[in-house]
Amino acid sequence: MTESKIYFKFDGKKYAGNQGDTIAAALLRNNVRLIGRSFKYHRPRGIYTCGIEEPNALVQIINEHNEPNVRATVKKIYEGMIVKSQNRWPSLKTDLGSINNILSPIFSAGFYYKTFMGPKGFWKNVYEPLIRRTAGLGKPPKEFKSKSIHQHHNVDIIIVGGGLSGLLAARKFAGTNYDVLMVEREDALGGVLKNADKIKSINDQPKDEWLEKTERLIRNSSNIKILKNTLVTTYNFSDHLIALEDKNVGKPQDNEKPELVLHKIRTKHTILANGHIERFITFRNNDLPGVMLAASFEKYLNRYGVVPDESPVIFTNNSSTYSLLKSLTDLGHKPKAYVDIRDQKNIEKETIDLLEKFNIPFYPKSEIEGCEGQKEVKKVSIRTKKNQISKIKTSMLCVSGGFNPDIHLFTQSKGLLKWDKEHLTFKPDRIFQKTITLGSVSGNFSYEKLLVEVENKLSEFEGLNELEVKFELNGPGKFQIKELWETKHEKKSLWSKSFIDLQNDVTTKDLRQAVNEGFNRIEHLKRFTTNSMGTDQGKISSINALGIVSKILKKDISEVGTTTYRPPYSPVNFSAIAGRSTYEFYDPERKTPLHSWHVKQNAVFENVGQWKRPWYFKKSEDETMHQAVQREAEQVRKAAGILDGSTLGKIEIKGKDALTFVNLMYTNSFTKMKPKTGRYALMLGEDGMVKDDGIVCKINDQHFIVTTTTGNAASVLAHMEEYAQTEWPNLNVYMNSITEQFATFNLSGPKSRVIMSRVFNDIDFSNDQFPFMSFNNFKYLDTEIRILRASFTGELGYEIYVPPSHALKLWQKIFIYSRDFDLVPYGTETMHLLRAEKGYIIVGQDTDGTVTPLDLNLNWMIGKKKKDFIGKRSLTRTDIVRETRKQLVGLVPIDKTLGIEEGQHVIEQKDLSLPIKDPVDMLGHVTSSYFSPNLNHSVAMALIRGGKRKIGSRLFVSTENLNTIAVEVVEPNFIDPKNERMML
Amino acid sequence: MFTIRCPYCGERDQSEFSNGGEAHVARPKDPEQISDREWSEYVFIRANPKGIYYERWVHTHGCKKWFNAVRNTSTDEILKVYKMGEAPPPLKGFKNTIKTPSGEPDVGSGNFSVKKP
Repeated sequence: MTESKIYFKFDGKKYAGNQGDTIAAALLRNNVRLIGRSFKYHRPRGIYTCGIEEPNALVQIINEHNEPNVRATVKKIYEGMIVKSQNRWPSLKTDLGSINNILSPIFSAGFYYKTFMGPKGFWKNVYEPLIRRTAGLGKPPKEFKSKSIHQHHNVDIIIVGGGLSGLLAARKFAGTNYDVLMVEREDALGGVLKNADKIKSINDQPKDEWLEKTERLIRNSSNIKILKNTLVTTYNFSDHLIALEDKNVGKPQDNEKPELVLHKIRTKHTILANGHIERFITFRNNDLPGVMLAASFEKYLNRYGVVPDESPVIFTNNSSTYSLLKSLTDLGHKPKAYVDIRDQKNIEKETIDLLEKFNIPFYPKSEIEGCEGQKEVKKVSIRTKKNQISKIKTSMLCVSGGFNPDIHLFTQSKGLLKWDKEHLTFKPDRIFQKTITLGSVSGNFSYEKLLVEVENKLSEFEGLNELEVKFELNGPGKFQIKELWETKHEKKSLWSKSFIDLQNDVTTKDLRQAVNEGFNRIEHLKRFTTNSMGTDQGKISSINALGIVSKILKKDISEVGTTTYRPPYSPVNFSAIAGRSTYEFYDPERKTPLHSWHVKQNAVFENVGQWKRPWYFKKSEDETMHQAVQREAEQVRKAAGILDGSTLGKIEIKGKDALTFVNLMYTNSFTKMKPKTGRYALMLGEDGMVKDDGIVCKINDQHFIVTTTTGNAASVLAHMEEYAQTEWPNLNVYMNSITEQFATFNLSGPKSRVIMSRVFNDIDFSNDQFPFMSFNNFKYLDTEIRILRASFTGELGYEIYVPPSHALKLWQKIFIYSRDFDLVPYGTETMHLLRAEKGYIIVGQDTDGTVTPLDLNLNWMIGKKKKDFIGKRSLTRTDIVRETRKQLVGLVPIDKTLGIEEGQHVIEQKDLSLPIKDPVDMLGHVTSSYFSPNLNHSVAMALIRGGKRKIGSRLFVSTENLNTIAVEVVEPNFIDPKNERMML
Repeated sequence: MFTIRCPYCGERDQSEFSNGGEAHVARPKDPEQISDREWSEYVFIRANPKGIYYERWVHTHGCKKWFNAVRNTSTDEILKVYKMGEAPPPLKGFKNTIKTPSGEPDVGSGNFSVKKP
């Protein structure tokens, strides 16, 4: 190991660590034990584990955009890293929040639910903000622009875990035809081989040498790719795994490169070799800094070369702690005591020999009752086999409560578990996907049986390598354990606590209380107590909770069952999930060919789907939206206006049966329609509700071009495709989206004809030659344009369809030629206002998927003689012909100075003064409302119950306060009811 | 997310497809001649079984072609895909090997990760 020191800061103080240290390893090296304060009671907490399962040692990385809840046991240090403890104020040592610990006897399970009940509004304004400030973990990061990326893999085999089992599997596949991906969460392969000294040699080579050779062999085989620092978080159907790779392990974030990579892996077979997790034992004050899991202690010794404590007390219920004892004594350290719950006759000989050799105080058939200390362990209290309490001074206690196969991913895959009576744990039973479990995750804790297991479970694959492996073990080969979940309290104080969930501050007392209150199903109990609901998901404790609950309920643990394991295995950063889909990359922006012109003319843009459309044009800096819209709308009706309609969806329909098809898709009849004419058309769903509207242009019976509303372009095309492919595949018809092939200008207003005549001086725009709703194609420069006489404003109007390459030039030309005619560019808001003055609907604003053509007074658009079209049959359903349906009407305020608000209710009663005794009958709501500069009063459209019959009557519209506005119900056509202007 | 073998493009990720609901629900030939009830059954009513089911899919982010599939809704296994117009394979031909992920009941939901002793 290189001895160059790395300096970092923890809570303002500078510490030195070694290359490769985690924050936790480096702090232990410096003898720092107190790392944070707990979630609820603000109790002092230290480092409990040495890995992903850590419940306590969560910190905030200040120099990485304030990244909160980082596991100190996983995150590696680098020069200049700034780390802060969490959930304490003003400092870690004197935390005012610890008053919660003093008050803790009242903070039992369900405390918040039961206590903060009233008065009304207090939860939102008082209780919740207060609780959020005192309870909780780190603070969220501020502005952070992710550089994370996503990467996809398609492989034959994924091996999750690069420990011994994973390596043996990889060795079998090395150099074969299988495409294999091996994923390891640490920065080195080896797993337990690196963490503990359980194996002396493999194939007569020292284990490190074997490991190095094996890794080289795997690396050199072209069919296996290894990802390190990568954690598999999710196992989806079907054999689709998600893994998170940290690209900046042990170095500061790079401003140019991605910090995280989210791997999405599709595989044919999944080999889970992700090992096991040690669990703790619950006793009094088992949360004090200085209590650590035994295998974690061992990992600090072997992987990091850190001795967390030279003479800890070891407390165990199984045979695994032999190797810890051996590692410590090999280093010349002597544990204070060895406390084993098992009978002396059941304890393996190797352990007893070692204890005798080094003269270590040995307590068989004994247990730790609790420990004492203010901010860390000072004393432990042992209940000996004679049931006496004996106290020992120590600063560290290593606990091993057995092992859980890390079944999280296996159960995410929907595999079933069963209880293993020998090893006292849940292990995989029935697979649901193409899953193979190897090693300790499958419940196999024996090195001798490992090779047989690998051979057997991989026998379905052909052409794999022969494998010969011989292990020489240190100590006992057989794993032996005695059941113990918690030890009995000696002190009956209100403040002595035995924790079952360290991160969420759940005690065994909370479990008992929850069961007493009737929460005896494990899923209910979990939610009531919040047990195992922290960011660690109770990795070291959830099985203990099941064990304790099974004892309370006097049931078998397999009857109690586990709670559901849901992805992710461990928290995944939002930045990794978002990947590059942030800010400007979140959704594509679509701009029309005229966008640059709009920008220069101070357009304010509106998002319509993905499109950027000019909302209105600001004539001067201080012009408000209202002023701009009023100005634009007035000028269109007085002179002329032009709108960029390029975003309009356009679909070309061709084929021998195009006419039949268009007749089926739209309500109108197109059979007798002359070529080169257009028709305003409605598209319905099969339920008879309006789906879209647009203009259908007939070139001939085999060729149509239809327009759709901007937002529905894709869905209308998909709707047509669906029917063409599934219902009427016999029809010869083809559709194509040509939205982007044409820019569209909507020129409108009394002066539009003269402008058109000037711009296109060889075209005759007279009524005879160019009647309303006719169109034609014309040569224009080196291209062709189409001009359609149509209107969405009620004024004389023309639509010009021009290839985008010529759009900007033509647009500018129109402005040059109309200098004398007061032409105004207008935006979508003015377009909406002008059409509302005419009572034209906007699909999606005046309709909401429950509105039929009959409700909109558009009966004239229905081809009644047509035998069939989509939705026709529904129009005669009894509910559709009901007269009391909501129907579209116009509203005009009686007091012409008042404005009506969109979305307000239309009601019959004038008086809404409090208290309102009976429910107010809502007739409907206002769908569109604008102040018309051309009429000098508000005009509104509304969908109201039985609206057609109410025309001429007086109703009321609610406002944001309790006043109402009296309105007259009118036909929804406010200007030029005879439609003379567009026929001009 | 599972994969679907598009009969035109081959195996692709589910995210490229959209589900189109129950398959082989024919649009009535002469809608005017049937009762409101019969028509509304065509428009609104679809089967939703737990088990093997004929359904329609469209390769939205691909060839945009519609096709039919036989899927076990409780396991998400796609047992067969076939083109529009092809006759549906008889359901009897499919063996329902594993009923539900967690061995839960045929009706209703459930989530048990431990095998019942």
